[in-house]
Amino acid sequence: MTIRLSPQTLLVIEALLSQPRQWQYGYDVSRTTGLKSGTLYPILMRMADRKLLETRWEAAEQGKPPRHMYRFTQEGLRFARANAPAPAGGSQRVALSLEHA
Amino acid sequence: MGAPRRLAYALLRLVLRLAPEPSREWASAMLHELGFIPGEWAALFWALGSAAAVFRHAGRNWRRWIPQWRSNKEGHVNSKSKKAIGIASGALAALALAGSAFALLRIVDLLFPGLGIARTEWTHWFGAIVIPEAVFLAAGILLWRKRGPVAAGILLTAVAIGLHFAIHVASHRF
Repeated sequence: MTIRLSPQTLLVIEALLSQPRQWQYGYDVSRTTGLKSGTLYPILMRMADRKLLETRWEAAEQGKPPRHMYRFTQEGLRFARANAPAPAGGSQRVALSLEHA
Repeated sequence: MGAPRRLAYALLRLVLRLAPEPSREWASAMLHELGFIPGEWAALFWALGSAAAVFRHAGRNWRRWIPQWRSNKEGHVNSKSKKAIGIASGALAALALAGSAFALLRIVDLLFPGLGIARTEWTHWFGAIVIPEAVFLAAGILLWRKRGPVAAGILLTAVAIGLHFAIHVASHRF
């Protein structure tokens, strides 16, 4: 399984890695990274599909809709720490083995 | 709530209704996030980007399902049949574009008879031949490396349409 480490993906990894065990909201990640929803969500979706990211619904407070939250899985955290420094020359493709997750 | 935000909610509710099961949680997440976005237009742009993201996600799941279905139903799809499918899809796309261009000319002629499109030859040459052929050439060049068979299908259709046009002109003029 592969995941493309585009500059935008690296921005998301950096943002989530800033508070690795904290749940973060989509809009907050969007503000931190400066990415629009059309760019941010496909990255979050890919990472969640590859089990790098876990998702959870926030318990709804009265009058407020529940929010979807994201944080790295253990596998995701290892992957993020291994790839967090921005690589030279744009994007790269990294083989990701999930067998030993 | 202003009109842009209302439109944003309506769009994301529609996306949530249309989204297939694997994408529904994400569509719902984007919809719920909308309430926390300050700014009416920012909310609308959030919704537009989110809608595109959900449809891309749904499309990726659909593409994943197709090879699975093929391998279950038809067995191994070899590279020759993949190339044939690529060429056929390129040719179909090119024919659809050429047909659309021709149909557009006819519709404009019907809607605005005063323009006299039926009587002016250059509009047919330009609208149904020159522009589509230029698009085919550009698409063929751009797709050649990544989607060779599709590019070949497009270029073959371009040559066929060009030849048809040349024969038509030769037989009606000389």
